[in-house]
Amino acid sequence: MAATSELDRVSMIVLRYMRRPIFVLILVYAVGITGMALIPGKSADGDTEFMSLFHAFYFFTYTATTTGFGEIPSEFTDEQRLWAVFCLYMGVIAWLYAIGSIIGLIRNTHFVQALSEYRFSKVVKQISEPFFIICGFGDTGSLLARGLSDHHFVGVIIDRDPERIKALSLRDYNIKMPGLCGDSSAPRHLVDAGVKHPQCKAVIALTGDEDVNLKIAVMARFMNPDVHIICRSTSPKHEEHLAPLHNVTIINPFEIFAQLLSMAITAPRLHNLNSWLVRAKGVRLGRPLKAPGDNWILCGYGRMGKWLRQYMKLNAIEPLVIDPNLDKDQETSCFIKGYADHGTLERAGLTNARGIVAGTDSDSDNLNIMMSAQVVNPTVFTIVRQNHHENQLAFDSARADLIVQTSLTTGRRILKHLISPQIQQLIDYLYEQGEHITGEVSEQLSSIIGDNKPHLWCVTLDRPHALAAADLFQQGCKLVLRNLLRHPSDRDESLACMPLVIIRDGQSRMLPSLNEMVFMDDCILLCGTEKSEQLLGSTLNNSYTLHYLITGEEKARGYFFLLLEEKRERSQNRST
Amino acid sequence: MNLERVIFGFFIILSLTFNFVFVVGEIDNPSHHNVWILTIAILVSLIATGLKLGDRSQVGALLLAASLVADLLLITARILWVVYESDTEIGPSPESMVTIVSLAGGALLANIVSVVILVGDTLMSRR
Repeated sequence: MAATSELDRVSMIVLRYMRRPIFVLILVYAVGITGMALIPGKSADGDTEFMSLFHAFYFFTYTATTTGFGEIPSEFTDEQRLWAVFCLYMGVIAWLYAIGSIIGLIRNTHFVQALSEYRFSKVVKQISEPFFIICGFGDTGSLLARGLSDHHFVGVIIDRDPERIKALSLRDYNIKMPGLCGDSSAPRHLVDAGVKHPQCKAVIALTGDEDVNLKIAVMARFMNPDVHIICRSTSPKHEEHLAPLHNVTIINPFEIFAQLLSMAITAPRLHNLNSWLVRAKGVRLGRPLKAPGDNWILCGYGRMGKWLRQYMKLNAIEPLVIDPNLDKDQETSCFIKGYADHGTLERAGLTNARGIVAGTDSDSDNLNIMMSAQVVNPTVFTIVRQNHHENQLAFDSARADLIVQTSLTTGRRILKHLISPQIQQLIDYLYEQGEHITGEVSEQLSSIIGDNKPHLWCVTLDRPHALAAADLFQQGCKLVLRNLLRHPSDRDESLACMPLVIIRDGQSRMLPSLNEMVFMDDCILLCGTEKSEQLLGSTLNNSYTLHYLITGEEKARGYFFLLLEEKRERSQNRST
Repeated sequence: MNLERVIFGFFIILSLTFNFVFVVGEIDNPSHHNVWILTIAILVSLIATGLKLGDRSQVGALLLAASLVADLLLITARILWVVYESDTEIGPSPESMVTIVSLAGGALLANIVSVVILVGDTLMSRR
């Protein structure tokens, strides 16, 4: 529907625009050809001769298009030449007019927009693998697109800003990501982006405007009742609107930020594991941050500061809050009103504080706070919030203990939701279980993967993804996880990967042991190297390799050798 | 070491070598090409094809395809030999000989593909 209506629009615009130039061309041709056919000419032997209509048309064609000109079929008479001069000027002017109109049309912005919408919806229609719609291509959106490209997923991008869409086509993604410039809350654009496409897995609303995000979520829900919707929202009012819609995940960047920070303070090992899994820069597994457990100063008490204080209080930490916009009645021993400059920080007792969070919404303020803090108390543990991606270099050289960039943490959280939703469940589970288990998992992972980059993937034991395993399940065989993860070259060695979660009948089993049985349609979340994903994939689809991994014996290939083997087994059975 | 792989490899390589033995020599000289060797090459190639039947892996499918090509070309060459045998007293004429030997040369190519796949697969599995 959408594509044809776009095509109709494009062709309609062309036709309407070209109507007059085409009339002019037809008229000029008609006049020129008729005149040439009526004017008497002279043949080679001097007889009077009239040019046929076809010859006149032929003559006019090469004249009007300024291609060239010869006097055929016989030399022109003077009358004919006179008319030919007239034809030349008339034809060229008509053609220039027509061509000029076409060029004008091509440069018309509305036409360009209609054409790019048509092209965009055509590209989206041809997508055959699962894809995600990203509305809003700011810091978070572009980080998300980069992550999707790393995992070879297609993202369809809509943004209002034409500059961002232009920049999109210049990025070196592994996969082509179609982009449309337009209002992403307009239903027409959502349909063009494939919200009704059967392979559309999720709509992600990431625009800077919360109202627009809400509108996108509602529109997408109406147009496709089943699609997963992820919506960035920070206001409780919008969250109330979104809550009744089913299958909607609300992402609050401030809450995620607060969660991460409180995790860094109360569960440093888990924070370390989590950052390593999302491939944060400069993180090494098994080297957790040593964040102090009390005496915190929190600079900035906006929406994020409130979330942060709430999470810190959950962990029995009472931070000292500094903010210039505090209410009068709030000023107690835990709150100091004022800008977090040198004097205020000293008044807040920075010399005795063990940790400081520079969490205002201004990057320069945060860097300032950091500098004063490092001057007053060089041993203090510093956590700094980075608001804008373009300030990366300044923050990199600021030597903070932890830099948290909101767009980055949000992007990574959404990516986790899309690629492997189970990993967040695992993190939550580990948070409940305590640091002891996390330490064991980290040790195992670092011994298996070493210095390689971690790679997370899900494998489903069903017919399309694991043919050989599915065959064995149907024959009633029982498979143990350990056997699947043996190395196809040598079954005494294991693949460089570790099973993290098994999802069976909608239930998740965290950290399964290698002796766990697996069944048909189980989904296993693994962490390992990309090479091991390939090896495991080919093992699960090759019945001979799988047989070797399970039994340690080579299975006979071909009817003849199978026959031989059966005979040998029968004779062995008889003798025993 | 696995007896099954030994037998399998033996027949595949043997069919390649017999094929080579027949093809080698001047292409149009009937005295350089022995019809008995051609017949044995067909026999060995057929046995190799039989051993490949029933392998359900991707590599097995490719091996079987290469073997079938070799069979087809060798059998065509043998039939042509029967047809052209009465050309002269000593056997096929040089022109007919060229056709027969080039057909066998095509089969040689298919057999080389077979052996390359076999060796590659064995090296890949590293067991």
